[in-house]
Amino acid sequence: MAYLLLLHLIAAVAAPGLVKVLRTKAFPVLALVPGIAFGWLLFVGADVRAGHGPAEHTMWVPGLGLDLDFRVTTLSWVLGLLVSGVGALVLLYCTWYFDDDDPSLWRFTSVFTAFAGAMLGLVLTDNLLILYVFWELTTVFSYLLIGHNPASSTNRRAAMQSLIVTTVGGLAMLIGVIALGVRHSYSISVLLADPPPLDSITIAGILLLLIGALSKSALVPFHFWLPGAMAAPTPVSAYLHAAAMVKAGVYLVALFAPAYASMPGWQVMTLGLGLFTMLVGGWHAIRQHDIKLLLAYGTVSQLGFMIAIAGLGTKTAALAALALIISHGLFKSTLFLTVGVIDKSTGTRDVRELSGVGRALLPLAIPATLAGLSMAGIVPLAGFVAKESAMDALAKAAEGGGLGPAAYGWVAVVALVAGSVLTVAYTARFLWGAFATKPGVARTAVTMPHPGFIAVPVLLGVGCLLVGVLAPLESEWLMPYAASVPTGETPASLALWHGLTLPLLLSTLAIAVGVGLFAIRDLVGRAQSFVPPLIDGERGYVRALRGLERGAVGTTALTQRGSLPIYLAAILLVFIALPGVTALARGGVQTVRLWDTPAQAVVGVIMLAAAVLVLFTRRRLTSVMLVGATGYGLSMLFILHGAPDLAITQMLVETVALVVMVLTLRRLPTKFTRHPHSPARTWRIGLGVATGVSVAAIALVSAGARRRLPVSADFPAEAYSFGHGQNVVNVTLVDIRAWDTLGEVSVLVAAATGIASLIFVRTRSTRLAPARAQQPPSGTSGRGRWLLGGHTVRKEKRSVIFEVVTRLIFHIMIAVSLYLLFSGHNEPGGGFAGGLVAGLALVVRYLAGGRHELDEAAPFDAGLVVGLGLLVVTLSALAPLAFGGTILESTVLDLALPPWGEVHIVTSVFFDVGVYLIVVGMMLDAVRSLGTGIDRQTEQEQGDEQTRQHEGTTR
Amino acid sequence: MTASWIPNLVPFPVLLPLLGAALTLAFRRSPHLQRAISISALTGVVAVAALLVVEADSHGPQVLWVGAWREPLGIALVADRLSSLMLLVSSIVTLLVLIFAIGQGQANDDDETPVSIFHPTYLVLTAGVANAFLAGDLFNLFVGFEILLFASYVLITLGGTVLRIRSGTTYVVVSLLSSSLFLVAIAGVYAATGTVNLAQLSIRLAGINPAVALVLQLTLLTVFCIKAAVFPMSAWLPDSYPTAPAPVTAVFAGLLTKIGVYAIIRMQTLLFPQSPLQTLLLSAALLTMIIGILGAVSQTGLKRILSFTLVSHIGYMLFGIALATTHGMAGAIFYVVHHITVQTALFLISGLVERFAGTTSLDRLGGLAAAAPVLSILFFVAAMNLSGIPPMSGFLAKIGLLQAGVEVGTPLAWVLVVAAIVTSLLTLYALAKVWSQAFWRSQGEARAAAIATARVDDEDDDAYDFELTLEAEMEAAQQAALVGGTPVAVATRQRPLSRMMKGATAAMTATGLVIMLAAGPLFAFTQRAANDLMARDPYVTSVLPQAVRH
Repeated sequence: MAYLLLLHLIAAVAAPGLVKVLRTKAFPVLALVPGIAFGWLLFVGADVRAGHGPAEHTMWVPGLGLDLDFRVTTLSWVLGLLVSGVGALVLLYCTWYFDDDDPSLWRFTSVFTAFAGAMLGLVLTDNLLILYVFWELTTVFSYLLIGHNPASSTNRRAAMQSLIVTTVGGLAMLIGVIALGVRHSYSISVLLADPPPLDSITIAGILLLLIGALSKSALVPFHFWLPGAMAAPTPVSAYLHAAAMVKAGVYLVALFAPAYASMPGWQVMTLGLGLFTMLVGGWHAIRQHDIKLLLAYGTVSQLGFMIAIAGLGTKTAALAALALIISHGLFKSTLFLTVGVIDKSTGTRDVRELSGVGRALLPLAIPATLAGLSMAGIVPLAGFVAKESAMDALAKAAEGGGLGPAAYGWVAVVALVAGSVLTVAYTARFLWGAFATKPGVARTAVTMPHPGFIAVPVLLGVGCLLVGVLAPLESEWLMPYAASVPTGETPASLALWHGLTLPLLLSTLAIAVGVGLFAIRDLVGRAQSFVPPLIDGERGYVRALRGLERGAVGTTALTQRGSLPIYLAAILLVFIALPGVTALARGGVQTVRLWDTPAQAVVGVIMLAAAVLVLFTRRRLTSVMLVGATGYGLSMLFILHGAPDLAITQMLVETVALVVMVLTLRRLPTKFTRHPHSPARTWRIGLGVATGVSVAAIALVSAGARRRLPVSADFPAEAYSFGHGQNVVNVTLVDIRAWDTLGEVSVLVAAATGIASLIFVRTRSTRLAPARAQQPPSGTSGRGRWLLGGHTVRKEKRSVIFEVVTRLIFHIMIAVSLYLLFSGHNEPGGGFAGGLVAGLALVVRYLAGGRHELDEAAPFDAGLVVGLGLLVVTLSALAPLAFGGTILESTVLDLALPPWGEVHIVTSVFFDVGVYLIVVGMMLDAVRSLGTGIDRQTEQEQGDEQTRQHEGTTR
Repeated sequence: MTASWIPNLVPFPVLLPLLGAALTLAFRRSPHLQRAISISALTGVVAVAALLVVEADSHGPQVLWVGAWREPLGIALVADRLSSLMLLVSSIVTLLVLIFAIGQGQANDDDETPVSIFHPTYLVLTAGVANAFLAGDLFNLFVGFEILLFASYVLITLGGTVLRIRSGTTYVVVSLLSSSLFLVAIAGVYAATGTVNLAQLSIRLAGINPAVALVLQLTLLTVFCIKAAVFPMSAWLPDSYPTAPAPVTAVFAGLLTKIGVYAIIRMQTLLFPQSPLQTLLLSAALLTMIIGILGAVSQTGLKRILSFTLVSHIGYMLFGIALATTHGMAGAIFYVVHHITVQTALFLISGLVERFAGTTSLDRLGGLAAAAPVLSILFFVAAMNLSGIPPMSGFLAKIGLLQAGVEVGTPLAWVLVVAAIVTSLLTLYALAKVWSQAFWRSQGEARAAAIATARVDDEDDDAYDFELTLEAEMEAAQQAALVGGTPVAVATRQRPLSRMMKGATAAMTATGLVIMLAAGPLFAFTQRAANDLMARDPYVTSVLPQAVRH
């Protein structure tokens, strides 16, 4: 069976290609696919009847209980035949329905074939989750089919409506499926053979399954989607109404009724809603002018009927339900396909415009009439047989008291008769509307359809008759399903004649009243307009959606303010409310040592003062300075703790940050624009204080919880013995935790690139303009004396002393930076600090001599330096692998270099060189971007300004 | 026994991209060479990651103590089942997005993705992602985050337009805040335990005062929930992702939040197994799902809709984690894998839409189904996958979580099951609206509607000012032109799609189908991974073979 489904899938994938070559001739080819399924089902029919239908098991996701289990029981056999048989015929019919030049044919054929496959899978599977898979697939494919012509907004809305409504039911069903599956089994045969104890969750699960079934089968209150779905091309409607999609709900009810029909709540949903839907559908059907819409409401009514009977859960009802499903499949497909032919041949479906079509299209009118009579339940058609047995089943159930108090049962019987009356009435209206020659209406012009186009409805219409006549034979094949139902007595065989029974009397009554109702249709129509619509599912749907949209907009307006301060506040509030409050409330009191030396207290007070003052300054430069002060204070604290490495690095970082900030500030207004005393500010200060308190509390609480020695206790000894260095900090950076450093320098690479990206936008590499190549601007005298680039700076900005100092210290700084780099392993220093010093040297050159001086000092591209640095770092990480070591492993090299003699090198120094290069490159990037880049922008703007002024004066 | 050289492969997913970044910086003037380098580096990562998956599955976690330092002194890199799987998925995604970006760059003349900036930064980003997955050390995890964050700061502001810088600011500032809090957490953890090695923490945290452990757990959780965009710390995401260049948004949306989710999984199972915080996390998951998806329903821009679904579906993963059962964890891992691929695919598709139609605003899109059938199929498949329509990976992932929820069966767990279903429905609704408007509606109708909306917008400017999102602003100028001038302006920005872009997008979408076909073995794998996580054992003993005893 999996192969049959695979065949459908392959056909669906191949369909677009097939259509390209064959156009509409592709339909007969595709019809073969469900045709093959039909043939195979016929072939295994005898086995199924004998009770050993084929079964298959393929693993898919065993962990989720999703296994491709398939089996054929009588119920699924009947549905399978209907699905594949009607599917094949409808595809064949499409050959004449569509035009060769329809551009959406590739889409339609593919989706339709897939839809047929999904429906077949649905009725064949034995795994409830897989059933859900196919269930949703039919929803999605029908969505695409209903929206086949999406240019009209009505069609799009109808497609969306069917999608949402059936998915709502489907998802409710999914909860039920999982509740059953997790707690019992996903195997349908297990759930039927060995029903779980009916605790509240199981009952809820089954009822959720029913909700899925009701939504799919368009029962009240979900009924409104089905009439909307006739936006689909007529062949799709025929298939959807007769065999696929809506039958899935009936199938599910029929599937579970044998084991669960007596469960609390079941009958309310199937019989109650079913019969109510039968009435509502019929009521709407008798007033329609569009014959397709009339049929659609007719389907709603019939679905209610089928579900009511299928849900009864007695042997008689089971037999009747199957007979109903078959007869409905046959007559409804015939009628829809008839409508398709009429629509194509006359261009209208309106009963007020159609006239004389029956005479013009006699070969069509005959099968359609057969089907219509079957729908109305008239001897000797399939519909009559089915309806007789259904009435019999319901009457027996009412008599037997299976439906609660006897009164309920008889109310149900009356409702069924009333429903039948309406059915007869709308059938009459359909046949009259479609085929009658109406007085006062001009004869409809009819283009003769291709004989093939009519052949399919003829075939199906004849089927209605055959099945009716061969009712006893039919019931033999259906009996195994009835036998699987535990309750009720073994039913009598389906037959045309059971004698003068109550059902026959009721049928006759229904037909008589129905015909009467049709006769006085104008009166009925006027009466109907006075009855307010009882249940308007569609309005509920629209209201629900509108409410949803409004609620969504409201919620989003509330949560998505578009304001960064609010987002930050939300984060901080969570931080304060969760870890902060927990730390304060449950952390316990710690004894706190305020300081080791009074100097720490002094530094601390300065830092605090600077931090508080930042809040009250309005000048950007001042605030940068004050924040810098806290940073320098921190480096003082490091010194007081005896950590010179950290202090040096912190000091350098702070300096670099200050320089970079100041360079940036050139492009910003000098003052903050905010108001110093706004309420928002008070709020934020409060939040800031609370955050600070939380952080402090976390720090205190966690420091007090330490029970074990830190891993770093072993660092000094290990650093010397394994890392070959005396400076623990440096060994930690380039060896013990070199992997972190590797990551951090990648951060620098990204940061450097980012600065360049923001300023230069398009490229990583910058144009160099060394000082030597520059002409001095007017007003300066000749070449600069101390710095090459001095002459390029405007006279009023030059400072001779600065130039002299720069000249003197630049090389010293570079030397110091190299010293820091190479001595770092044993003395304070290292590649990072060294790189920062070298970078600062470049900054000094820039500040003293301008951008051309910078290009003179560093005549290379910053990106290249960064890249080389990263290359060195990465390669030195990889290099030990070549010598049988592990990544970033270091070793000592003792080299004999003639001028120096014996040299003792720890290999981690190469790593440090890379770090050095990256830091220098990043600094260069920063100065090039924030210095040179901004200079250029400013000059350009000034240039523009001057040009504009110049232009202004000339005018 | 595993081959001795395998552990040395563990750092390669970080080193290869870094090497690539170095080379692309060095060969900055040759775009061809840069492309070749980037593609080779990332292909290499995919290969290594695949090998690590196999090794971790058959021989247990692969551990490397970098620099051969004895445990627990140095930094351990660990590739267990979870991290190697994450690595494999993320490397496939980054490679495909790279190909997309190259396709876009080649077809573009306007330097939207400047090659000399994009390539090194993108490679650094992937190195950071790999590092985050492999870190066996809390501080190194922080470093991994920093690498990818800094690279992402650069990528999100690529091109330096006003819009990108403004939304980039939101992103950068929020990320900086979360990094600061992360540092606070690390300081606290080290202060309390004296170590940052995860395996050792797993042992030591159990020994400290539970109240302090709870404080540390909550701090870390806050940090990772910011990264993962969990409500109420999620609002930054829809405001910052949509404006970046398409490939950047795609990789951010697919990957970056999942690293937060990964970190939550790791810390909840390895560091704080005795404290599932079920009620707290389930409530957060609930709010994230529902508020996120309501956001998606309320939007009219494709990229923003997708960003909101992204937030919403983070709730699914958190749901699985919060259940703190093997099945919940397995479901969450499976969902992560699914969601990385599908979300990336959808953002790539929205990139194609933007390129093809010149906009991603639903008010103005139309007629795509007829005009671009391939694009339509890709969108439809990916959208249905995200909505959890069976039998695609989204459905399987959802089923895994729902089953786990039903198994737990507490009232709150049932509420979450229902919420997950509702979220699924609303996701379908939001995406079906996109389909209906952008793909089904005819272009003429779209134009007429666009003009009508533009007029309405003119009339009441401040009626829905929160809706005047960045994306909307971006459109505003064009809309103004539309009202004043000829309505044909809609179509003028259409550009053809390069084969490379389509190919990468199709491959990304197809990955969802591959996951579906391979769901059996993949789900079994995630279950084994979840078993490992819940047992903690193979992880801790592999990292610290000696220290376990004391």
